[in-house]
Amino acid sequence: MLYFRATDPFPLESADHTKLHEFYTRLAAGRLATTRCGACGRLAWPPRGFCGECGSDRFDWTDLSGLGTIHAFTVQEAGLPAGFDGPRVFAIVKIDGLRVFSILVDAEPSSIAVGQPVRLAPLRVADDPSGSPRWLPAFRPA
Amino acid sequence: MRKVALVGAGVSRFGVRKASYRDLIWEAGKACFDSMPAVKPRDVQGLVVGSVMPERTAFQSHIASMAAEALGIRPSALSARTEHMCASGTVGIRYAYAFIAAGLADLVMVLGVEKLNQPRGDEAILNMGTGVDREWEAAFGLTAPPCFALAAQRHMAEYGTTEEQLAMVGLKNHTHASKNPNAHFQKGATLDQILCSRMISTPLRLFMCSPITDGAAAVLVASEDRARDLTDRPVWIRGTGQALDGFQLTSLHEDYARWPALERAAQSAYRMAGIAPADVDVAEVHDCFAIAELIAYEELGFCRKGEAGPFVAAGRSDYGGDVVVNPRGGLIGCGHPLGATGVAQAAEVFAQLRGEAGARQVPDARVGLTHNNSGMGEHVVMIYGREA
Ligand SMILES: [Zn+2]
Repeated sequence: MLYFRATDPFPLESADHTKLHEFYTRLAAGRLATTRCGACGRLAWPPRGFCGECGSDRFDWTDLSGLGTIHAFTVQEAGLPAGFDGPRVFAIVKIDGLRVFSILVDAEPSSIAVGQPVRLAPLRVADDPSGSPRWLPAFRPA
Repeated sequence: MRKVALVGAGVSRFGVRKASYRDLIWEAGKACFDSMPAVKPRDVQGLVVGSVMPERTAFQSHIASMAAEALGIRPSALSARTEHMCASGTVGIRYAYAFIAAGLADLVMVLGVEKLNQPRGDEAILNMGTGVDREWEAAFGLTAPPCFALAAQRHMAEYGTTEEQLAMVGLKNHTHASKNPNAHFQKGATLDQILCSRMISTPLRLFMCSPITDGAAAVLVASEDRARDLTDRPVWIRGTGQALDGFQLTSLHEDYARWPALERAAQSAYRMAGIAPADVDVAEVHDCFAIAELIAYEELGFCRKGEAGPFVAAGRSDYGGDVVVNPRGGLIGCGHPLGATGVAQAAEVFAQLRGEAGARQVPDARVGLTHNNSGMGEHVVMIYGREA
């Protein structure tokens, strides 16, 4: 099938395409990482290549714990975009003091509650057009 | 700064339209020119077009020039497109306002247009994912409903807001839309129908959500001198405010039932207009989802924080109440053709303040407010008045 960037819902994750490729490399190895500003030390979520606080573009990678709790969630049952199935649990996960947006996998929607512990569960999605695997940082009940 | 007024307004039919992107531009443009016969396309010095995703839905960019040519407008002072997701239309009105207030133009059309429906419905929804962060949100399949659902969950947990109160927003707006011949939905709805409609994203059900709609709207914006030449009933822009809290969900206020950017945008607009919330007779607020209208009551100052549920349940946002909210039917009843919405809100306030709203007329409406947002974190507020 022809590949059109405009209908590919996933980011291009490799070093050819993004300054933040290290995030995805670590994710593929089961680690949740983010950036810390090289000048003012501010920890960011999501990772970023420019610090909006001090204006520096130097950053270092640091691993987060991978274990968090549900801060807020909703279950979408209908009206999902092409290529995504419901019911789909969208959640804001609190992890090391940061708020991370994600989905919950392997969760029974009726049993989810605010405050519930969850663990990183890297989700493999469609390969990029040159065949490299792609991953998203999903979570599952801990 | 010079005073600025609306002198004309028109909207297309909203709905799942058997019409092209350009057909919608023609319809709204004609309705707007028909409302002000003294103005011909060649008299208009500028055009601002609010449109979010014609690149995806009509495979077309270079929008302002395309629309100018379609309408016979030859811009000499201002030509621009505004893309600011769901608030694109009101952001366009602010551009026209600023150019005219500064003396750079005297007569500008602002047109909002969107052709969202596609042969496949799931493609239309896929496109809506362009409005949230691609890498960190949309890649998971996120679109607007789950975002606003988080706000609803929080409002219910914190303030005891009920599913019935959410449904009452849908009921009011569907009822209002039944008196609007341009609305997407004109059959009204019952509370039972709303409460039994399909769950979209917990706790928001289908009739608590705005649909995928095609439509366009246009207003003519003029300097004080030009406005007084053209009409003895101009509708003045008295105040405007815009504020950003954040773009990604994880950058917003941690309490998703609090929208500080809306409070700030409203305060700027009230201060500029020299009015208080209680002075507003009619308000067009951004009810993309029922919870958004409830939170808007609070952040706009129509009621205290947490009291929006009882406020709608007591009829205080309906005819005969404190302020009539969404008389044209809102986004829930009229539909939400993104770029067109803010302009259609202005067109409704224009009709209301001129006493031309027919079956929807709010008695003796003198001050009108519009609220348009792009996500929960960014808000634009306009205040209009019969008197300058
Ligand atoms: Zn920094």
